[in-house]
Order: sequence, then C-alpha cells, then structure tokens
Amino acid sequence: MKPLAEMQREFLADLYGESPLEGRRSVYRRNVLANLREALGAAYPVVRRLVGDAFFDEAADRYARAHPSASGDLHRYGEAFAAFLARYEPASELEYLPDVARLEWAVAQAFHAADARSLDFAALGAIPEGDRGAIRLTLQPAAGLLESPHPIASIWSANQPGRDGTPDRTDGAERVLVHREGFVVRVRELGDSEWALLGALARGASLAEIAADPAIAPTLAQQLPFWTSLTVIDGIGGPCSPPS
Amino acid sequence: MPPRAGIGLRAPHYAEAWERHPPLPLVEVHSENFFGEGGQPLAWLERFASRYSLSLHGVGLSLGSADALDERHLERLESLVRRFEPALVSEHLSWSAIDARHANDLLPLPFTREALDTVVASIGRVQDRLRRRILVENVSTYFAFSAASLEEWEFVAEAVRRSGCGLLLDVNNIWVNARNHGYDPRAWLGAVDPASIEEIHLAGFESEEELLVDTHGAPVADEVWTLFREVIARIGPRPTVIEWDTRLPALGVLLEEARKADEVLA
Repeated sequence: MKPLAEMQREFLADLYGESPLEGRRSVYRRNVLANLREALGAAYPVVRRLVGDAFFDEAADRYARAHPSASGDLHRYGEAFAAFLARYEPASELEYLPDVARLEWAVAQAFHAADARSLDFAALGAIPEGDRGAIRLTLQPAAGLLESPHPIASIWSANQPGRDGTPDRTDGAERVLVHREGFVVRVRELGDSEWALLGALARGASLAEIAADPAIAPTLAQQLPFWTSLTVIDGIGGPCSPPS
Repeated sequence: MPPRAGIGLRAPHYAEAWERHPPLPLVEVHSENFFGEGGQPLAWLERFASRYSLSLHGVGLSLGSADALDERHLERLESLVRRFEPALVSEHLSWSAIDARHANDLLPLPFTREALDTVVASIGRVQDRLRRRILVENVSTYFAFSAASLEEWEFVAEAVRRSGCGLLLDVNNIWVNARNHGYDPRAWLGAVDPASIEEIHLAGFESEEELLVDTHGAPVADEVWTLFREVIARIGPRPTVIEWDTRLPALGVLLEEARKADEVLA
C-alpha cells in the first residue's frame, strides 16, 4: 500500500495535469478547475468582460496549471495573473490587459484590507511645532498606487456593471489610486501633484520633505485636508517610524 | 442553542437576511470568507453575530493532508474564533493540499489506518490551537481508494472518538456516498455515537449520469428528507443547517427548507 503522502501527490498532480483521467477521478479535476476559474473570475471581472468568457476560461485553466493555488483561502488565489497575462501569447495584442489585471488585483485586496482609521487630530496637534516637519502621514491600508502607459482607470470604470464598456479615453498613460471609502472600493485617476504627494507618503516621506518638493508644495494646502477627509490619509507615523 | 434549523448564509443574502430578521437558531458561514483584515465581510459578520448564534464552517484547512497543516491558515482561523467566539466551529474530514499546493476542494481520503492517524493528529492540533472542541463533517466522494481497510462510517466514527471532536453529520453526503459507492446509508446509524453528533447538514445533490454530485445547488431531495427523519428519530433533534452554494436561490427558498427541517426537529 502506498503511503498517504504519495497517494496525495499523485492525485494532486492528476488534478492539475492534462492527461485523461479515469471516469470518476475526472469529476474532481473538472470541479477543481471550475472552482479556480470562478475564483479568478471573481477577482478579475473586468478582464473577463474584456476578453469574453471562453477566452477567460481557457486562460484561467492555463494559469491554474502554471500557478497552482497555494492557499486554502481562495481569496488569495490569482495574484500572479497580471504577470501571467503579460506573457500569454493569445492576449499579446491586448497590451493594456496585464495592467488592468494589476488594477483589479489591487481592487480585490482593497475590499478586505484593514479598515481605515480617522486621522487623530488631537495627537497631531499635540506634536510640538518644532517637530512637525518630521511627521510622516500614512495612507489607509487599502490604498494602492498604480501607474500604466494605458488608461486603466478609464477602462476599468467603463467596464463596471451597468456601463457599456466604452472608456472615456482609449489611449494615454494613467496614474491611479485604489482606496476604500467605508466599504466601497474606489478607483481614482490622479493628477501629477496628487500622484507626487501620495507616492511620497507611501514611500514614508516626512512633511518637511513633502513641503520642499516643488511638485507638491503649491497644492499641499488643498490636498492634505482632501485626502484626510477621504481617510486616504489616515495615520501619523512619528519621526521614529521607519519608512513604509 | 436550540436544536432547530438554521441556514448557511452567503454574501448575496446578507442585506435581505438582515432586513427580514428571520427567527433562526444559528447562521453558518464559511470561515475563509472572513479571513481578511477588515472591510464589509467582517462588518456583516459582526452584525449577524450580534443577532444570531454563529457557526464557522471551514473549507480550506485540509485536515487530511499527509504533510503539516498550514499554520498561517490556522492562525487566521484562530483570530476569527477569538474575535467571534462562535457557538460552533467545524471543518471537513477530507484533504485538499500537499506540498503547499491546493486543490481547494474536499478530496477523498483513503480509509486507512495511516489516514486515520493523520486526521486525528490534525484535529488534535487544531483543537489545541483553538483551545476548543471542533466538529468534523463527513464529505461526499466520487471514487474510493482501493487501499481502504475501513468502511467510511468506521473511519469517521474512529476519527471522532479518538480525537474527541464532535461530528457534523451531513445527511446528504451519506445519501450521495451510499448511492455512489453502493452501500446502505443506514450502516452509518449504528456506527457513529449519537452523543458525538452536534450538528446536521442538509443540502441538495445533482445527478451526472451514474453519479450523484454534492453541488449544494438544489433543494434537499425526498430520499434525504426520509433519511434525515430516521436520523432524528434515532438520535433526537440537533441544530441543523441548510446549505446552498451554487445557483443560489432567493433567501425565502432557504428559509422554507429550514422550516421543513424544523417540522422534523419539532
């Protein structure tokens, strides 16, 4: 009798394999691939809509075989799909597709990221004026910043339920913030100074460094309250906090 | 928790279930749907936990893997259990992963002594970590390993007895396996200790040629209702959950199934 580990290795290899399986074992392969397709489709609804169901399912099966699920929690499945699509020959003409997938993964992660706090103004006010330049404001846990040579936010927005799929822009680079307002995940295209500020905060820049940045300084007084009211800026890292 | 019928609660039903406020003894959710650090799923669970007894039903721990349990998975489950202190915590007598590769499916175990030792050790590890008793559920299977040295009901009864866990008896899965593997479903009734059965599952199967497949995508079948009545007549009423996962119908359909189960449990 084979050891359990060996039986399980063989069976799992069969499930992810492509050679024909004996009748009843094939039920499991079909179920496994169908579950993984569904999980991938749940994380990447816009990619699915852009390429169509048949194309997506084929790509999903190839992805499963190249990147088998590594967790018992299916919400973690699909992280490498953007990288996979970038090398997936049948999708090579859709140059924007991998970046749309990157955006969708950020959206999926934002959905169950830790909740944002409200900025603690009392704590902020208590910091002595002479130390304020060293304050490092932090972004909410759901925040993600993405940059693409393609208009990924426009494409994403146009392919939300109820939209007809026609993006406002069909070419040009976009810089995007993914964040959560309450429980709703938002995708927002950023202007240059917005990108500069949020990028600097994400890298752990101090207020003094930000105020000295000519790309940010002219809009800083408008931006800080704006991002704070959206809880995109939601925390204070002190002078001792390591850059994130 | 009264031995009455509750439902498996899925995301598309949250808002309606909250609004309608049906009188249920418990609601059951899949643990892994709440493994995130925040956001809407956990907020819903907080609301439902404030109103109902909660059952956390896991699908991804892979108790039957020949290699070690995924400690990160167990850690996430533990933090969920600490946060919600649910009335029931359950997993499946199956496996889904080896060498850190997952099938994310409830795969059959060979009913061997080695597999039995493996699940008993895993259940012990989980109960130690969670510092509480868990329930394990018998699963539907579509083929049986020829290496089996025990009958399925012996395997399950032994796993429960040796690990000191409770049994979540899935009556539909018994029926499905009895048909798929050609045995008498009543063989189970004499084999498992009635006192160990702390919860019952009911769900619908679908036929694929010769095979019954546990899709959780149909009403509970007449034959399964009959078997459920026999089980309850023999062991007495138990908390029972109606499960429905694929092609989820209106919430009212689940509540009606729960009402039918309540007639048997009353």
